[in-house]
Amino acid sequence: MADINIGRAPGNHIVLPFFGTGALFYLILSILLLLSTEDWSGHYFTPHLLAIVHTAALGWGTMIIFGAAYQLLPVICERDLYSPRLAQLSFINLLIGVCCLIPAFWAFQPGWMMLTGGSLIVCAAVLYTINAACTAGACTRYSIQRLLILSSAGWLLLTTIAGLLLAINLGHPFIFRSHLDLLKLHAHAGLAGWFLQLITGVSTKLVPMFLLGKSTKSRLLYISIILQNTGLLLFIIDGLIGIPPSVTPFPRPLLYATLVTAGIIAWLRWLADVYHHRARKNTDWPMRQVLLSFISLLLAILLIPLMHYSSHPKWVMVYGLFIFLGWISTIILGMTFKTLPFIVWNGRYKNLNGKIKVPMPKHLYKETWVRYQSITHITGVLLLVLGVILQMPLIIRLSLWINLFTAAVFITNVLRVLFHKPNIPTHGTVPARPIL
Amino acid sequence: MELSLHDPFYKEKTIALNALYQVIDPELFINIIDLGLVYGLDFHQEGSIIVTMTLSTPFCPLGEAITTGVKNALEFPFPGKAVDVRLVWDPPWTPNPLLFH
Repeated sequence: MADINIGRAPGNHIVLPFFGTGALFYLILSILLLLSTEDWSGHYFTPHLLAIVHTAALGWGTMIIFGAAYQLLPVICERDLYSPRLAQLSFINLLIGVCCLIPAFWAFQPGWMMLTGGSLIVCAAVLYTINAACTAGACTRYSIQRLLILSSAGWLLLTTIAGLLLAINLGHPFIFRSHLDLLKLHAHAGLAGWFLQLITGVSTKLVPMFLLGKSTKSRLLYISIILQNTGLLLFIIDGLIGIPPSVTPFPRPLLYATLVTAGIIAWLRWLADVYHHRARKNTDWPMRQVLLSFISLLLAILLIPLMHYSSHPKWVMVYGLFIFLGWISTIILGMTFKTLPFIVWNGRYKNLNGKIKVPMPKHLYKETWVRYQSITHITGVLLLVLGVILQMPLIIRLSLWINLFTAAVFITNVLRVLFHKPNIPTHGTVPARPIL
Repeated sequence: MELSLHDPFYKEKTIALNALYQVIDPELFINIIDLGLVYGLDFHQEGSIIVTMTLSTPFCPLGEAITTGVKNALEFPFPGKAVDVRLVWDPPWTPNPLLFH
């Protein structure tokens, strides 16, 4: 069978801006965290924490995930990306949107800037969804990945539209319900819909590829999709209808969380099976970071009953820290070095491979820095969680400085890859290997 | 890929294999011959070499880099011959665990 389509990713000029900008936003996030040390002892609904959460979710998480998705969709679906132009437009919309939204939240001015930012982010989500749907929609194979990519894009769209409505509601109240209750729905549509389902989908392709592992238990993934979506849908519908808690003898949010958790466990069991049946026994630091991130996700889940029964806002903050810094950021910090160097290498050296001696993708960045970055990131997150639980500003401040150091190491390494200059000999080929 | 001493193209295939040792899988950091990605070399057609090979995964993002590497590597020892890389998924590639220890 000749001429098989092996998947053609879009040009580097389409995806690299997402990675570079995402890394910059991670640095901005670390600076904003450091400037908000005092906010960690109060309520979570404060201008600074709203700005920080949106920097983490949109500027950092979504920015890099968009770039990675545009790179991976064609290879997963074995067809070209539907529209590189739409991908570029989504970048511009997301970038300007986030740049408007963050200062508007920081200064808490629910005026034109916040609404413009929110509207542009909705536009970015629409453009991404069209591209994902048209690329994955024609994909006849890998139905699990296709389902997860499409469902996560749908949840992203819902999350951004809900976020825009909430932003309008801040300046011109028209929803006569508790803003905090609706905020929970918006936040969980983003976390359990957009981030969780996209990470589930992408991981089911990338983890077996990087570990050279496989699992025959694909039923677990179908169970995972059904449970994740059922739990989240019930949570959203219940919240929108506003059924009083006293209607049922048990706390319904915990039931919905249990369904989503069961879905997460099914997915993690599938990944554990892949890990168990892997050919590559040596796990590199980026992959170790990915595996460590799942511990943080499980810790966040364990906090859900505590959040439900305790009225102290610090548990919501710790939950958010485990999700955004412990889980999503840890995955992105690791996976960046499993994707970005390969994208850059493909652009610089693809045509020279086999012709002359070329550096390998892992030579484009400092591996030791990734190791330091992993250690300092985990230390920073654990200290921050400890500081918030014990309400000790000194520990919080120390952890945030460590976090800033991690961001500096990360962005330096990313820039090293992005601005890598090919070192190509003017003539000569690879010396022939002696015949054995 | 097996090579027999009685193969009429033994010499050409040896040279080709030697050249293909230089094509490295950028993610696994192992050459494509040791990885077992090359299934066959065909020199029967005048003026062309047919390389039958697979990839470690059908959606390998570096697939194009590897197939270009095969063409580049064979260009030098066989100038003037067209290199036709044919990708197959059957039999599927299975990693040799010993390579990764």
